[in-house]
Amino acid sequence: MSPVELEMVIGLEVHVQLRTRTKLFSSADVSYGDAPNHHVSAVCLALPGTLPVLNARAVELAVRAALVTHCKVHPCSVFARKHYFYPDLPKAYQISQYEDPLATGGWLEIDAGTGPRRIGITRIHMEEDAGKSLHENGDPETQVNLDRAGVPLVEIVSEPDLRSPEEAGAYLRALRRLLRWVEASDTDMEKGQLRCDANVSLRPRGSTRLGTRTEIKNLNSFRFVEAAIRAEVERQTRLLAKGGAVQQATLGFDAERDRLFVMRIKENADDYRYFPDPDLLPLRLSEQRIEEIRAALPELSDAREERLRREHALSAGDARTLVASRALADWYEVAARAHGQPRTVANWVLRDVLAALRERDAEIEAVALAPEAFATLLRLVDAGRITAKTARSLLPELLFTGGDPEALVRERGLEAVSDPGALEAAVEAALVANPKVVASYTADDAKALNFLMGQVMRATGGKADPARVRELLAGRLAGRR
Amino acid sequence: MSEPCGAVSELRAQLDAGSITSAALVERSLARQAALDARLHAFLFVRREAALREAAEADARRARGESRSPLDGIPLAIKDNIVQAGEPASCASRILAGYVSPFDATVVARLRAAGAVIAGRTNLDEFAMGSSTENSCAGPSHNPWDLERSPGGSSGGSVAAVAAGIVPLALGSDTGGSIRQPAALCGVVGMKPSYGRVSRYGLVAFASSLDQIGPVGRTAADCAALLDVISGHDVNDSTSLPEPPLATSAALTGDVSGLTLGWLREADDSPGVAPGVLAHVREAVAELERAGAKVREVSLPHTRHAIAAYYLIATAEASSNLARYDGVRYGRRTLRDATLTELYERTRAEGFGAEVKRRILLGTYVLSAGYYDAYYRKAQQVRTLLRRDFDAAFEVCDAIVLPTTPETAFRLGEKTSDPLAMYLADVFTVSANLAGLPGVSVPCGLDAGLPVGLQLLGRPLEDANLLRIADAYQRRTRHHLARPPL
Repeated sequence: MSPVELEMVIGLEVHVQLRTRTKLFSSADVSYGDAPNHHVSAVCLALPGTLPVLNARAVELAVRAALVTHCKVHPCSVFARKHYFYPDLPKAYQISQYEDPLATGGWLEIDAGTGPRRIGITRIHMEEDAGKSLHENGDPETQVNLDRAGVPLVEIVSEPDLRSPEEAGAYLRALRRLLRWVEASDTDMEKGQLRCDANVSLRPRGSTRLGTRTEIKNLNSFRFVEAAIRAEVERQTRLLAKGGAVQQATLGFDAERDRLFVMRIKENADDYRYFPDPDLLPLRLSEQRIEEIRAALPELSDAREERLRREHALSAGDARTLVASRALADWYEVAARAHGQPRTVANWVLRDVLAALRERDAEIEAVALAPEAFATLLRLVDAGRITAKTARSLLPELLFTGGDPEALVRERGLEAVSDPGALEAAVEAALVANPKVVASYTADDAKALNFLMGQVMRATGGKADPARVRELLAGRLAGRR
Repeated sequence: MSEPCGAVSELRAQLDAGSITSAALVERSLARQAALDARLHAFLFVRREAALREAAEADARRARGESRSPLDGIPLAIKDNIVQAGEPASCASRILAGYVSPFDATVVARLRAAGAVIAGRTNLDEFAMGSSTENSCAGPSHNPWDLERSPGGSSGGSVAAVAAGIVPLALGSDTGGSIRQPAALCGVVGMKPSYGRVSRYGLVAFASSLDQIGPVGRTAADCAALLDVISGHDVNDSTSLPEPPLATSAALTGDVSGLTLGWLREADDSPGVAPGVLAHVREAVAELERAGAKVREVSLPHTRHAIAAYYLIATAEASSNLARYDGVRYGRRTLRDATLTELYERTRAEGFGAEVKRRILLGTYVLSAGYYDAYYRKAQQVRTLLRRDFDAAFEVCDAIVLPTTPETAFRLGEKTSDPLAMYLADVFTVSANLAGLPGVSVPCGLDAGLPVGLQLLGRPLEDANLLRIADAYQRRTRHHLARPPL
C-alpha cells in the first residue's frame, strides 16, 4: 500500500480580552496584577439578588473586531447561559452567546510566506471570562481568584481553513495586529489577553471530509501555537501510519517539555444546557449604530500603507514595514511631520529604530522617546551639530529612557567639531605627526588618506564631520605636493 | 394585645395631625408581632432596634417638616427573598442560613429613601417555590382566618402579616401567583405589577422571566402608595422598563364607568372551581357593573396549556438560577467534603429542601440536550400564543375578571403529598406571569368564613388602571374591612 499524502486541517478558536475599563456585566475594574480578589463586586461573586448589566463599551469593541474581520454584524444577538460547575465560575454558568452570535461570516488575509490567502471566520461572539483556580504546591485546597471572572472577551472562531502550523501562526499574528490596530484589545499574551485553542485533524489530500479532530487548549504564545500543532500533526501522522485511528480528545501543551498531554477523552458532547439568559434583553444593534462604529474606526492598515507610499514616496516594502502596527505607524508619522523629510525619517526608523527594538525584543509601545524628540535628534545630524554616528550611538538609550536629545548632546559634550579653526588645527597636527605617510602620499592614495582621517577623528573624539575632514585633508595634501 | 393597624391613609392622617408618632406605630407593630407570631409564624427576622431607630428619625423629619413621602415613618414587612444591606436573606432555605446581604435591593433602597420603616422579613416557601409557605425550612406560616390552614404562598408570611394587622403593608414576589394567591386566601389586596415595572435587582431569583416584586396591603389605595415608591426604571436591572415611577395614587378616581370587563369563559369551565368561590366573584363583577362598568365574555383558549408551560419555564430558569448555591463563596457548605464533586453534591443535598430539589431536577431535564426543543422551546411558543390570546381579549375589554384561586384556603398538609394538585391550583394566576401582565387580587367576601379573591388582569403597563378598578370596588364594598378572628 502506497502511503497516502495527508493534509492538515486546522481551525483556531481565539479568545480575546476587550479593552474596557470595567467587566462585561459589572462595574468592577478590569485590572491585572493586584492582590487576589481585589476587583470583585457583588455581581462578580454572584451574590443572591445580583443581575448582569451589559457593558456598552465592550459591545462597541466587539463590533470593531467583527468589522475589521469582515464579519456580518447581526442586528439582534442573544446572550445565553452555559452551565457547568467549577469553583472559579461563580454563577455556575458563563454568560456567552450561542445560537445567535454577534457576528458571522468574515475573513482574514494571511501570508505565511506562500502568498496571500483568505482564511474564513465562522463567528464572533461575546462572553465573560471565568476566574482562576490556583493549586499551590503541596496545598490540597484550591484557591480561587475571581479578578478575571466577568472580564469581557470575544471568541473568534475560524473556519478549518489553515493548512500548516506556519499558517496558524500567521493567522494569529494577523488577527492580533488588526485587533490592536483598532484598539479592540491590547492582546497582551503574557496577561492572557489573547488565548488560542487549536483544532487539528488530518485527511487524505483531496478529500473534502474532515478527519477526527483533537483540540489543543489554551495556547498563549505564537511559538506555542505552532509548536503544539506541529507536535500534534506528527502524533496523528504516526498514529494513522500505523493504521490507528485518532480519538477525539482535549489536549494540553506542556511548553517546557514541548509535549502534548491528554486532558480528557470526549466520549460524547458536553451538555451545557444553554438557554437564552432571561436577565438580559437581546442585544439589538441598528444599522445606524453599526455604521457609527464603523465610521469611528481609525484609518486601517491597507489604506495607511497606500497613503504613506503616495505621500511619503516610500517603497511598498518600506510602507508595509512601517504599518506593521498602528503604534509604529503613528510614531513614524508624527516624527516625519515634525522633521519635514519623511524619506530621511523613514530610513532612520526602518534601519536604526527597528534594529534597537529587535535588540531588546521590544515593540514600539516600549519606546519612551517622543517622536518629536526623535525628529530633533535627526535635525541635529542634518545641521552637522552631531555626526550620524553619534546619533546612532545615542539612539538606544534615548529610545528607551526618553529625554531631550539636544540637552543630552550638550551635557555629554558630543557636539561635532565644526569650528573651522579647531578642525584645521587637528588636520595640521595629524599631518605634522605623520611625516612619513604625508611624504609617501600620492594622488588617490586611499589608504594613506584613511589613515590620516582616522588620526583626525580619534583626536576629535569622533565628533568631527568625516566628510569635512576628508575634504580638508585632501586639500592640504594636494597643496603640499 | 395591641390593635391591628389601619390603612396607610388613616395612619398618614394621624401622623400628620400629630395624634400618633411613627415610633408608636412601629412599637405597635412589634408588639402585635410579638403577641401573634408564635401562632402565625409570618416573620423570619424582626428588626426591632433598627426599626425603632428609623421610626424616631422619621418622627424627627416630620417635626422639621421634612417628611419624604406618604410612606415616611410607616412600618412595613418584606419577604425574605428581597435583600437589605446588613440583614439576613435566607429565602427560607438552609443553604442560605447565616447569609447577610452586603447590599440593598433597589426596592429597599427606594423604600428607605422614602422614609418607610422595614420592621421585619417574612416567611416564604423556600426560594419562593410553592403555593402554601409549607416549603419553608423554618416551618409553615398560618392563615390568620384559620390557623389550621395555609395562608397560601409563596408570599404567605407577608400576606399573613398584613391580614393579621401587624403591618399595614408588605412586599412580596410573584412568579406564578405568589402574591395574588395568598392575598386571596387571607383576604387582603395583593398585586403583581407588569413585568419590568419594579426592579428585580436584589430579589433573589427564582424564575427571572416571571419574577416580579409587588405590594400587599389592606386596600388598593395602600398598594398604590407602595407601588408608586418602588416602581420605575433601574439601571441595575436590564429587564426593567424604561418608564418613570408610577403615580398610581392620583389615578384612583373611584370611577369605572365606561370600562369594559371581560369575564373569563374558561373560569366557568374549569372543573376544580368551588361554587362558593365562583358565586362571590360573580357577585363582585355584578357590583362593578352596578358601578358603571360593562361586562362581556372573553376567552383565552391557550390558558389550558399555561400550567404546563409555566412549570417548564419556571423550573428551567430555577435550575439555572439556583446553580450558584454551591458552598464555595457564601452560605452553607457541607462539612463532609472530600472532593470537589462531594462539596457540590453534599452542600446541595443538605441545603435544599424537597420541593426545590424537585424543581431543579425538572428544570435540568427540561434544558438538557435533546429535550430543549420539546420542552423549553415549546413552552416559549405557548407563551407567545398566550400573549396573543390576551392581546385579542384586550381588544374588546379593558380588564379581565376571574377568580384568583379555584378554592379558599386549604388545610396545612392537605396538599403536600400531591405536588401536582398544588401546581394545578395555580391555574388562574400563572398566565399573567407568562404574559408579563399586571394582576391584582381583591377580597370579595367570605365563603364559609374564608376569604375569596377577585382577580383583575390588565393590559401590559396598565397597572394604574387595574388599581383604579380595585379601588372603586373597595369604595363600594366592605369586604376588606373584615378582620380575621385572632
